[in-house]
Formats: sequence, structure tokens, C-alpha cells
Amino acid sequence: MIRDLGIVGAGTTGRGIAQTTAQAGINVVFCEVSEEKVAEAIAGITATLDTEIERWGLTKTEKIVILSRIRGTTKYEELQAVPLVIEAVGDELELKSDVFHALDKVMSPEAILVTNTSSLSITQLAAVTNRADRVVGMHFSLPVPKRPLVEVVRGLHTSDETVQRVKEFACDIKKTAIEVFEYPGFLTTRLILPLINEAMHVVMEGVANAKDVDTAMVLGYNFPQGPLELADRVGLDEVLRWMEHLFRELGDLKYRPCPLLRKMVRAGNLGVKTGRGFFVYDNRGRHVRENVSGIFRISHPGPTI
Amino acid sequence: MLVLVLNCGSSSVKFQLIRTSPEEIEAGTEKKLARGNIEKIGMTTAIVSFQAEGRPSVKENPVILEHRVAIERVLELLSDPTVGIIKDSSEIGAVGHRVVHGGEKFSKSQVITDEVYRRIVECCELAPLHNPHNVRGYEIARELLPDVPHVAVFDTAFHQTIPEYAYLYGLPMIFYRRHGIRRYGFHGTSHRYLTYRMQQLLGRPQSEFNLITCHLGNGCSIAAVLRGHSIDTSMGFTPLEGLLMGTRSGDLDPAIILHIMAKEELTLHEANTLLNKHSGLIGISGVSNDMRELVKEAQNGSKGAQTAIEMFCYRLKKYISAYHGVLGGADAVAFTGGIGENSPLVRELSCKGLECLGIIVDRERNEKLNGSEGRISTDDSRVGVYVVPTDEEIVIARDTANAIAGKL
Repeated sequence: MIRDLGIVGAGTTGRGIAQTTAQAGINVVFCEVSEEKVAEAIAGITATLDTEIERWGLTKTEKIVILSRIRGTTKYEELQAVPLVIEAVGDELELKSDVFHALDKVMSPEAILVTNTSSLSITQLAAVTNRADRVVGMHFSLPVPKRPLVEVVRGLHTSDETVQRVKEFACDIKKTAIEVFEYPGFLTTRLILPLINEAMHVVMEGVANAKDVDTAMVLGYNFPQGPLELADRVGLDEVLRWMEHLFRELGDLKYRPCPLLRKMVRAGNLGVKTGRGFFVYDNRGRHVRENVSGIFRISHPGPTI
Repeated sequence: MLVLVLNCGSSSVKFQLIRTSPEEIEAGTEKKLARGNIEKIGMTTAIVSFQAEGRPSVKENPVILEHRVAIERVLELLSDPTVGIIKDSSEIGAVGHRVVHGGEKFSKSQVITDEVYRRIVECCELAPLHNPHNVRGYEIARELLPDVPHVAVFDTAFHQTIPEYAYLYGLPMIFYRRHGIRRYGFHGTSHRYLTYRMQQLLGRPQSEFNLITCHLGNGCSIAAVLRGHSIDTSMGFTPLEGLLMGTRSGDLDPAIILHIMAKEELTLHEANTLLNKHSGLIGISGVSNDMRELVKEAQNGSKGAQTAIEMFCYRLKKYISAYHGVLGGADAVAFTGGIGENSPLVRELSCKGLECLGIIVDRERNEKLNGSEGRISTDDSRVGVYVVPTDEEIVIARDTANAIAGKL
């Protein structure tokens, strides 16, 4: 079992991975660019754990134990001894390539290098290292501590052993792994994006309003949240970036971004992070809406960790 | 024979080395040779404490990441030339394992054969938080001590005598058949120890008296013991049911949790943690899950602490009264566990007003008894009320020796 883990980049995803793995009993060292960023990440994780306590999901003692397993640093060298490093910096090829190049130098030759990309080519990233067989993708669903799924992504040179070890690791941190081969959008992103895009078309074409679109999918198809609320939570700029990526890579019209999406991004209504997207949100990211009947939530409690 | 008693939890290993055998049990010459604890396994530093009879005690904080390393350390400590008590681990004649859940498969302790092992593993489904660690402890101990018999002693076994009408829930029968939904009860080893010990205190064989046993620790349960057999207990399918506990709610209208889950949009995990870790004494008082602290806080005027204590004792009283009836009259009530052994206040309040049932606590006797054994009822109390510090390890050691000798 993997006991020590390295993470590079402590944004939302990196923090989520740190929290999830520490909660599973793994000691985590994460690397950020400055001491301020390190402190910010620790404060962020602490705040998330406090919210968990407020939601009855965690006790104060458990919080202390989890935090005691997480340490931040600004030096790649501190990741030297760990058997597995997950890179979770911004989803840009150049940035990730630089990180991979630097990590490859300090990490022990047997160690596995994981990238948490949702769109980039594992094979291309592996090319800047001397361990292409030990480079693999792990695409976590967000928020990481709440979603029990991870896509394990094979690059062209990823070895079976590496895939196996990463799958075992996923199991240890209580995630269900599905295996996909490198391809634009992998599986989850590729399937959900056209749905979100189509929902926006429905609104744009005046077929139904945003609230009814979401209600239809929640009640009719048992979705834990509607596609438009999901888009708001992901960030509409992110959705647009992904759609453009798929459209560019695959060229199929079904990936053409909905004009309404472009319009909203241009207007700066990016969803939860700006307080307004298809719906309105308060500063804690809670949907400001009429009281949704609690009854249907009982039968659809949503996935738990 | 030297029996190593092992109790493996998620991050701890508790152990004792006890000299016992059917003959020594008979002659009363059993002896505890060593005891210890390894806590915080898998964390930055573990806490090891160890004390062998007549040897210097040990406290250390090594890095122990796995149960295997912990159990290896146990064997090293026991055979250490300075602090240990045996020359080498070959002196250990048997290992007794505490196993939380034996389901309906086990009504008494068992020498672990391949078949028994397979059935214990099957019980993991019923106690996913506990049994896997017990099983892991066994697997490691078997590798380290392959030549001696290993015996499993189950927390649920003592309660397997509970009759069907008492162990079933008012749900469609299909759930019992499909998922084994029924009352299993826990703390069986402790309730059994009290039953055994009360024979000596009452000077009568267990077939001649009825008993109410109250195990009040961090988890709390109470049992009705009819002539030596458990016929009802407060913990149910899981340890969540029954008495109010440190952090668990105990009895609850099941509709409440559905209602709260809907109102607060809780997930299953959050609801589970709410009931098991945020409720009970800590949830009500908002102060502590520790009865000692609560008594202090209540004296300082904390309303929350006072309410928590009142609720705790009231529920206990309700169960004592009910079990008195269930038994057709109890001859004695026995208190044990951290709270039962050390809180005169809880014992007093939970028996207050039960004079009509023949239960009269003597104030002075009750106040004087703290962590030791004895009677706290008045001389004219029809029902004897006792404090009996529990000893689950000795029960495990004896069962181990007896199971090997085929005397269970």
C-alpha cells in the first residue's frame, strides 16, 4: 500500500486530493510555488474540514488527525522519497511539461508520476520524462472528497503494472477506478459536455427555462443536480474552454459551443465563482432558490464517500 | 498455558499475556503476566505502553505504520530480556482473539480452523468497521505464531440465546432473511464476565439467579440475563441502539433521521457520522462525551451537562425497569465500564425511584465505591446492586484455554 504521497499544485483539485488521501491514512507532502500559497492551501483544507464538521460528516479529533498528515513545501526535492506524485497544476501543456520535467529529475526512478489532466495527452507529457512507462493520468471528479470516481488514463507507453498500482491506490483512497485510453475528453468529460451544451441550446431556443431544464433532469432522470447547475459549479469559462478543446481536437459539430455559453462568459457570468450563471448563488456557493421539496432528496441522497 | 489475548482495532492493538488452563481456572491460580497497548498505528508516531509483572514499565513513541509491525513489537516486548516476561515467543501456548461480530454463525468461542476463518470473514459485512481489523490481527498473528492454536471470542456470542421474539425488528421478515437484520447485541464478553463474577458475589450458581448487567463505557449496553443466559440486550443490529452513549444517540424514532436527512440534505455518510459521533452526551451537552467532565460542568451550572446526565440516567432507569419485568424479577443489578465503575452519581440517579421494584441504593456505600468491586444496595434491598470492574481479557483467555481443551 502507498503510505506517502506527493502532490504538486494545491488549487481546488490538489487540496481535494490531499484531503481525501490524508483521510484514508496516507501522509501527504504537497508542493506550491510560495510559502503564501502553502499557507493558503492549508487554510483552505482546514476550512473545508470545518464545513464537513458543520455538516456532521467529521469530528474535531478526526480533523486534527487528517491535518497532521498533510505538509506543504516549496521544494520539489522534498518529493524525492515518495513512491507516487500527483501533478495537479493548471491544465496547460507547457506548465505541466515543466513540472513533469522537474519532477522526473528529483523523483526516484521507480516512482510513478501521475497527472490530473482532464484533456491533455498523457503520451505527450510522458515524452518530457525518462519514465514514460510510469506516467499515467488520474482524472478525479470534483469535489474530490465527495465523488467516488476516478478515471485512470493510459498513455501510449503506460505499463500494465503502473495502471495496476494506480488502480490499487484508487481503491485504498476509496475511489472506484475506471480505465480509459487517452483520447480527447476521456470518458466523463466527453459524455457530460454535450449534455450541458444541449441544455443551453434548449434554454437559448426558448424551449424551456433554466430551472425547468434542471428540474426535468433531476426528477426525470434521477440526476443529483441538473446540467445547468453543474455547469455553474464547474465554471462556465471552464465549460467553454473544454467545448472548444473537444471541437478543435475532434472537429465534430456536436462539440460546437452553444452561443449562449459564449455570451454568458463574455458577460462575466461564470457561475458559482461569480455568484451568477444560469442561477444565482450566495457567497458560500449555495443555490439561492425557492425551497426545493426535501422529500425527493431522501430517495436520491447522491453518492457518498 | 500462556495465552496471548489480542484485541486489534482500526489503529490500535491491546494485549495481555495470561497464564491459565482448565485446571488453573478450577484452582484459582490464573495470573496476568503482562499487559500493553499500542495506539495510533499508522500515524506520525504511535504510542506504546507495556508493563510486565515485576518488570520496569515501558512507554515509547516509535513509528508503527502497520498492524504487522505492531504485533511483532508485542512479541518483542514480551520476550525482551529487561522488560519482558518470557524467554521467547515459543512459550506462548495459544492466542485468543477478540472478534466483534460473529453473526448467527457463532454462539460460543471457537478454535479458528480454515472453516471458522471463512465464516468470520463472512461476518465482515455485518461489522465493516470492526471485523476486518480483528481478521487482519488474526492473519498476522497466525503467520507470526503458526504452531499454536488461535481462538476467536465473539462480542455477539453471549447474546445468541436471545429468543426470536426479542431479536426481531418490526420490519418485513424478508429483511431478516435477506440481510440478517436482527438484534445481535454487543459487549457480550463483558456481560458474561459480570454473570460469572456475580456467581461468586452472590454465592450461588448462575442457574439460580437473574441479573441485569449494565456496561457503561464509551459505548453503553444493558442485558437481561436469565439464569446465566442473555435474553435481551439494548444494542441491536449495530452498537447504535439502546442507551444514550458518549457520542451515539441510542434509541431514536427512525423517522427522525429521514426527516433530518431531507431537511439538511445530508448524505448517508453525514447522517451516519451525525448519529455515531456527534450525538449522545457530546451532542446534548455541547461540552464533552466524558461523564467525569460532565459531572464537573453540571456542578458549575452547565445546563447542557445537567440535561445530558439526566437523560443518560433516565434512559438507563427505563431499561433497568423493563428488564426487571422481562426477567420476571431480577436478583441483582451489576454496573461496570468506565462510567459504571466510577460514577456514583449515575448509579444513584438510574436507580432512584426504583424502590417499588425492590432496588434500593445505599448512599454511603455507593459514594465510597470508586473503581472497585462491591455491593452498593442497602441490606434490605430485595435486589442486590453491585459494582463489578469488568475483565474481558480474562474471559478471552479462559475461553481460549477451554476451547483448546474441548471444554466449552
